[in-house]
Amino acid sequence: MRYKKCLNLVAVHQSRRQRSQGELHSRQLHQRLIDILHSWIAIKAAKSAPPPAHGSKVVPDGEPNCLAGLAFVFTGELSSFARDEAIDIAKRYGGRVTLQPSSKTSFVVLGDNAGPAKLAAIKKHGLNMLNEDQFLNLIATRKAGHVDEKTKKKLAKEQEAIRQAAKEMEKKEKEDAKKEDKQDGNLSSQLWTTRYAPQSLKDVCGNKSQVEKLQQWLHDWPSSLKSGFKKPGKNGANMFRAVLITGSPGVGKTTSAHLCAKLEGFTPIELNASDVRSKRLVESGLNINNTSLDGYLHGDKASVSITDKSCIIMDEVDGMSAGDRGGVGALNALIKKSMIPIICIANDRQAQKLKPLIHTTFSIPFQKPPVNMIRSRILSIAYKEKMKIPANVIDQLITSAQSDIRQVLNMLSTWKLSSDTMDFDESKSLAKMNEKYTVMSPFDITTKILGPYLFSPSARESLGDKMDLYFQDHSFVPLFIQENYLRSQPARMRNLEGPEKILKHLELMDKAASSLSDGDLVDSLIHGPEQHWSLMPLHAILSTIRPSSSMYGNGVHYGGPNSMAFPQWLGQNSKQNKLMRQLGDIQAKMRLKVSGDKSEIRHSYIPAFHPHLVQPLAENGTTAAEKVIRRMDEYYLSKEDWDTIVELGVGDHKDEIILKKIPPATKTAFTRKYNSSEHPIAFHKAHDLGKAPKKIAGGPTPDLEEAYEVDEIAEELSEEDEKKEKNKDDLSADKLIQAPKKKKVTNTASDKAKNKIKR
Amino acid sequence: MLWVDQYRPRTLDDLHYHKGLSARLKSLASSGDFPHMLFYGPSGAGKKTRISCTLRQLFGPGVEKLKIDQRVFLSPSKRKLEINLVQSNYHIEITPSEAGNYDRVVIQELLKEIAQTQQVDLNAKQKFKVVIINEADSLSRDAQAALRRTMEKYMSNLRIILCANSTSRLIAPIKSRCLLMRVAAPSEEDMMDVLQNVAKRVGFDLPPDAADKIVDDAEGNMRKAILVLEALKMQSPNLNGPLSIAKPDWETYCHKVADLIIGEQSPARIMEVRSKFYELLSHCIPPTVILKTVAERVVDKVDESLKADIMHWAAFYEVRMRNGNKKIFHLEAWVVKVMSLYKHFFYGIDMSDFD
Repeated sequence: MRYKKCLNLVAVHQSRRQRSQGELHSRQLHQRLIDILHSWIAIKAAKSAPPPAHGSKVVPDGEPNCLAGLAFVFTGELSSFARDEAIDIAKRYGGRVTLQPSSKTSFVVLGDNAGPAKLAAIKKHGLNMLNEDQFLNLIATRKAGHVDEKTKKKLAKEQEAIRQAAKEMEKKEKEDAKKEDKQDGNLSSQLWTTRYAPQSLKDVCGNKSQVEKLQQWLHDWPSSLKSGFKKPGKNGANMFRAVLITGSPGVGKTTSAHLCAKLEGFTPIELNASDVRSKRLVESGLNINNTSLDGYLHGDKASVSITDKSCIIMDEVDGMSAGDRGGVGALNALIKKSMIPIICIANDRQAQKLKPLIHTTFSIPFQKPPVNMIRSRILSIAYKEKMKIPANVIDQLITSAQSDIRQVLNMLSTWKLSSDTMDFDESKSLAKMNEKYTVMSPFDITTKILGPYLFSPSARESLGDKMDLYFQDHSFVPLFIQENYLRSQPARMRNLEGPEKILKHLELMDKAASSLSDGDLVDSLIHGPEQHWSLMPLHAILSTIRPSSSMYGNGVHYGGPNSMAFPQWLGQNSKQNKLMRQLGDIQAKMRLKVSGDKSEIRHSYIPAFHPHLVQPLAENGTTAAEKVIRRMDEYYLSKEDWDTIVELGVGDHKDEIILKKIPPATKTAFTRKYNSSEHPIAFHKAHDLGKAPKKIAGGPTPDLEEAYEVDEIAEELSEEDEKKEKNKDDLSADKLIQAPKKKKVTNTASDKAKNKIKR
Repeated sequence: MLWVDQYRPRTLDDLHYHKGLSARLKSLASSGDFPHMLFYGPSGAGKKTRISCTLRQLFGPGVEKLKIDQRVFLSPSKRKLEINLVQSNYHIEITPSEAGNYDRVVIQELLKEIAQTQQVDLNAKQKFKVVIINEADSLSRDAQAALRRTMEKYMSNLRIILCANSTSRLIAPIKSRCLLMRVAAPSEEDMMDVLQNVAKRVGFDLPPDAADKIVDDAEGNMRKAILVLEALKMQSPNLNGPLSIAKPDWETYCHKVADLIIGEQSPARIMEVRSKFYELLSHCIPPTVILKTVAERVVDKVDESLKADIMHWAAFYEVRMRNGNKKIFHLEAWVVKVMSLYKHFFYGIDMSDFD
């Protein structure tokens, strides 16, 4: 029925064509139309085919660890698993998953539409390829012990190392227990994080070089103090009286600081967020009574000996907040004159609060250690605690905790209360429960939204999950989407060829663009006078999700030809605002002579001014300057306005092109000539006249977090005020009264006199 | 000074066209019962000229002594707003749209202040002052609402003259309080007259052919016509023979954009067009003008059957541009739409009918 209708339409098209064009041409056209129609029907058929079966395939119950020793690369879109699920399956059975194919890859699991770069790499290395079914088959049939000798040996060696480490730990604990008092020396009451805190530098996981730097700095401290911090040392650290260790939580910053201090024979005095660190207290010599000299107070005189060498560990510096007003400023002042080393520890180096410390401290950033650095330590702890947890499960825990060692230990100790074993799925759910909320950058979000997976048929994300991406940064994400939606190669037009492909592409872009336009209307309701913030979910859909749902695909950061761009809108908008303001100035000045409004000035007058104000300078050079200036005076325009007029040109009149045509000598002559004469002024701007309102002195200062900064600004202000006071009678400071310019006439007159003498 | 400004008519009698309107204004001004007025019409038709002529009729030559003042207002969030006032002893002229979203503050404070003081000059011909509000069609709804009561309450001290391009954005209560004065674009003969008159006053002969051409190019915009006349005179002093009227820079640029749209339909081309749009927008060309100029050019170049659709979508997105924040989104949506239409036509089949 529909087919018939289509044929009718074709016929109509054909007859319409015949009237307008030649017979031959129309026959060709007819053929083409028929072709298009057929392919269209094919597309229809393809569309109606059932979508890739999501979750239709059952994962076979393979032997545990049956994929051990194998390295997998997943590429393309699998039909019944999302990418993440497939990776999880491989990991569950002990396989290793890498992102890029290399010579070490054992299998590549290939889905639809694999990226061309990956395909090339596969070809280059001659790798084994599996499709989805073969991959599942592999799990079902492969035996666990099926590992070649080399990996076997490696595994055995690892096991041995773990056992060794665990034994050592036990030995040490026993020794400690002997020394401890029998009553309170109950180790099992300690938290795992303290019990297994590193005892030596080799126990610290990752950041080896940073820890060494810290130790070196402490080691060199006495000599650098003697030299007055003039010798930079190996890495420049010895110029500083303090270091600032930054890094995400749980990577061992505090532990390393304590450890290094102990090893170098310093007595650490720790101040953290639990202590009050306000300006007054920090200044009054660091309320030492309040510090945690735990080791000393515990009577354990052997382990922590009070020496004449002590150092301050200022932990959680970015935690100095409301109660600690001026604390950072005082700390900074303290650092400048300190005679003992100060170690500051914070999470975010970029934080506004830490700005004062940047120049006075040596920065030691701690990275998140990679999984393999933590794994063995956690494994040996688990072994010691008699928990049976395979390596791949540990890996999973570490990855999902984002290399936060403390969190992994806490998770394990909690788990130990109920069970001694853990399998892959349990670790996953455990990690999910302890998930930390992380903020993605707009770049990552855009890559994810416009990428090929979020909207693919096998994706598991709900609409709410997609909207969450928008809410991560609701002001930037829509701009990023708008800037980049054209850069992808939509997955929806993948199976098409020729004209249909082009038409489909345009259709998709049209859908996306009109949805963006809808989104902007919603945005203007949100940010308009009535502030309908409740419309934000709608804005999320219209501005972000709908455009991406039609345009998703390879392209933006997925190996496509176009890399992602930062939204131009921001820069262009501020440029527009700036030029608009300048144009407003021009209009206000010209208003006495001209009736037009701002846009009328731009439309008609600026092109009309071109032959009067700009062209003469380009063609006749300096001689035209006088005429141009006269013309400007008629409209009360200043030299700055002339610049604006040039800047406002587009196309052939673009400022770069125009300014190139005017020789620099003419330009300077023009400026000089303009400045040397008097000009009529339409009016004075309000801010030229009035004095800036003085700051009201006294009164209660508002309770601000960054109060120390406010103090500084206020000081600066008062200084400026003083200056102003001084200059009160100075005429040159007043913009309205111009000091009479020393005329060049005297100069030239003397020149003439000289010439006369010469003659 | 440019000829447009030099030879602007100063009195109602000097005006060349819309004689009927001039006569009506004259009798209104002399009747002593002067109403609030709303002048509207396309730009370059002579609204401001008529307003200033009317003022002169009302108050005498004193109104031509203009001075500019700048006033600072505080927005509710304590931000400073600078507003330029053009005033004489008898009238004051403001452009509230300079204050953007805070135009309501300006209207409320300034109008009340003016309205609450009486005319001080005992020799003044009229007892009221006149407030001219420029760009009245870009007043926000709040500001228009603020205007309503003031217009009635202070009628004895104050008359308001609104100046707008169209009345569609003004709320009905405002329109009903004003006497509407439509200043239509001048007809071709009218423009020809004015051009000849200007030429006579400058002191040269304007060949009818050249005048024809200028009028044709100006499309009813008197200001543009006189500016073009002056530019042409500078270019070729005798104005005989073939003349080529140089288009303003932004117009040629818009035409380039239109050619780009027709030349190729691809994502890369859309991005190219986008950057050109940004260039135009950032150089203070209003988005509606861009859309209009580009659309007209595109329509010129495409097949007959597409013209209606393209114009329809241009109108569609123009409304959206007025309501929305980020103009480029709507401009781009229109471009994509046009490209899609064009390509579908090119392949001779309209796929959207089938779905």
